Amino acid sequence: MKPLVKMKNCIASIALTMGVATSAQAVDLEFYFPVAVGGKAADTIQALTDEYVAANPGVNIDAVYSGSYGDTVTKALTASRGGKPPQLSVILSVDMFTLIDEEVIMPFDDLVKTDEDKAWLQSFYPAFMENSQTGGKTYGIPFQRSTPVLYWNKEAFAEVGLDPEKPPASWEETIEMGKKLVKKDADGNTSRWGVRIPSSGFPYWLFQGLSTQNDVVLANSDGNETYFDDPKVAEALQYLVDLSTKHEVMAPGIIEWGATPKAFFEGQTAMMWTSTGNLTNVRENAPFDFGVGLLPGNKRFGAPTGGGNFYIFADSSDEQKVAAFDFVKWISQPAQSAKWTIATGYVAPRPDTWDTAEMKAYTDDFAPALVARDQLEFAVAELSTYENQRVTAAFNDALAAAITGTKSVGDALAEAQKKADAILKDYR
Amino acid sequence: MSATHFRWPGFDTVLNAFAMWFLAFMWALPLLYAIWTAFHPAAYETNFVWNAPLTLDNFAKAWAAAPFARYFLNTFMLVTMILICQFVLCTLAAFAFARFTFPGRGILFALVLLQLLVMPDILIVENYKTIRSLELVDTILAIGLPYFASGFGIFLLRQTFMSVPRELDDAARVEGTSFLGLLWKVYIPLAKPTYLAYGLVSVSHHWNNFLWPLIITNSVETRPVTVGLSVFAAIDAGLEWSVINAATLMTSGPLLIAFLLFQRQFVQSFMRAGIR
Repeated sequence: MKPLVKMKNCIASIALTMGVATSAQAVDLEFYFPVAVGGKAADTIQALTDEYVAANPGVNIDAVYSGSYGDTVTKALTASRGGKPPQLSVILSVDMFTLIDEEVIMPFDDLVKTDEDKAWLQSFYPAFMENSQTGGKTYGIPFQRSTPVLYWNKEAFAEVGLDPEKPPASWEETIEMGKKLVKKDADGNTSRWGVRIPSSGFPYWLFQGLSTQNDVVLANSDGNETYFDDPKVAEALQYLVDLSTKHEVMAPGIIEWGATPKAFFEGQTAMMWTSTGNLTNVRENAPFDFGVGLLPGNKRFGAPTGGGNFYIFADSSDEQKVAAFDFVKWISQPAQSAKWTIATGYVAPRPDTWDTAEMKAYTDDFAPALVARDQLEFAVAELSTYENQRVTAAFNDALAAAITGTKSVGDALAEAQKKADAILKDYR
Repeated sequence: MSATHFRWPGFDTVLNAFAMWFLAFMWALPLLYAIWTAFHPAAYETNFVWNAPLTLDNFAKAWAAAPFARYFLNTFMLVTMILICQFVLCTLAAFAFARFTFPGRGILFALVLLQLLVMPDILIVENYKTIRSLELVDTILAIGLPYFASGFGIFLLRQTFMSVPRELDDAARVEGTSFLGLLWKVYIPLAKPTYLAYGLVSVSHHWNNFLWPLIITNSVETRPVTVGLSVFAAIDAGLEWSVINAATLMTSGPLLIAFLLFQRQFVQSFMRAGIR
């Protein structure tokens, strides 16, 4: 027993001295990333990280796949409370207030020193920065960001005598065209719906498209006030409900996210609203000619943004913070950003990425990728507040209740507002 | 008391049989769907055509999406380690609770039972702190450690040990057997069905566990198959049911096969052990 213990101690002390020796030279970073678009994204992040490490011998980055967005925030918060936070993580932009509230992240402003850094901070699309800044500070850097767009089946449009190159541009046109596109079989069952707006899981996201088009915001930028009971919000929700009940251009009840692209490929719907993250999937699997366009407008055009930002964790050494900052700067450069966008379909978050030769070649070959960029002009911040999960859950419940018809639109929204007020009271 | 010429099966017999088949079918339906989609090209995910072409592409795709060979090895090591440690710890603890009287026995046993009432998810942060202070983050041992002293296992084995007839115990003691000998030669053999049943529950639970392993591990060398499986839940890009189902079949396959092989023993042991 004794010699074994001795040997163990010996190994431990060697390991310890080696550990000290390496940390004097190199900075070790732990970087959590979620994957929401399949395994290829993980490979791309790994490849980019390896490329950075190879070019920067003083830094080791351990890129750790951390499940879905939800799993990632759980893992990052658990590790932070457990005293071993990552230095860097990609987490949903809407979790910013939660992370600030937990005091685990730090603003990028503290690391910005040179004019070049300041210019870099200004280089992203404002639509993406809305979700990344609060109280005059920048906490997140846009990375895997998306926005919902309209996909339409050109063959179906031609079949019913509509111009296949002209998707609906307004709420009324969606109803008019939708009515023409609905197809019933001999038994009177609908074999093709006009449009599909998924509402399972997180209905607030696409609903935010509708509310923005109706020219109303759901929450203030301080994240402590919501406007769910605004009459314009009710109007937007009534429109969504009416698509199924009154106009019968959309299947009734809750519509699944995951099954939506499939339903589109199978011709069960002529149009769908879904994330730009689906571009590659639709491109590879749609057996017909399809178009991609802006979400139809009402009082204005509008769509939410979505997806994840880079955050730097506060409980790190100064060297680690500087290294993490440098890595985020590097990976958001046009060359890296273009690689990432082409591999995954995420919207490149800064204008100069779209000017690179790689992106030009990509968009020449596949023009629909540009629609997401063009929509950014009309895009707004995704709904995000303090206690975000509880507030959005209250709102999601209200939307689901109105969609399934268990509550009236007015009652459901009033109730959601009351719940949100109770939750956010302490943050005002 | 008239002679019966022909007996219709009783109404409740028919009803029972029908309900049985119906439930069995409903239970198997997701599995049947998974098998269908896994072996056919994506175009047949929602079209059921008898002569649809068979393919193994989905499995190849799924296998390539994550380092599954290593993940399988990790999961196998993990469940084996947990099972062995649970058997040893739970057996000793259960024996003590069942056959010894010592001060504080009641309180200690109540504490063990309390563990059954606490959701493991609540303890994630505390467990993380403990594992971190032991410097075991990102090891397979760290995934298993919080589960070794299983309250459920101790409770179950204690109940079984208490049902062992005193006469057998006394007879062995008269022969001069030591406590460990008594445990090894009398109690454990009689509790075999309980071990089998508990082993199945434990293995399938830890085979399927996801959140804790994801949080406490960071590298391919330590992560189990469930973490590999999660790559397919790509809601942003549309779900590929055929590949997901191939991956699901692949990861749950070893368990399904083991269950089918030992089906009779399992069913019997569940009946005897009283976990139903």
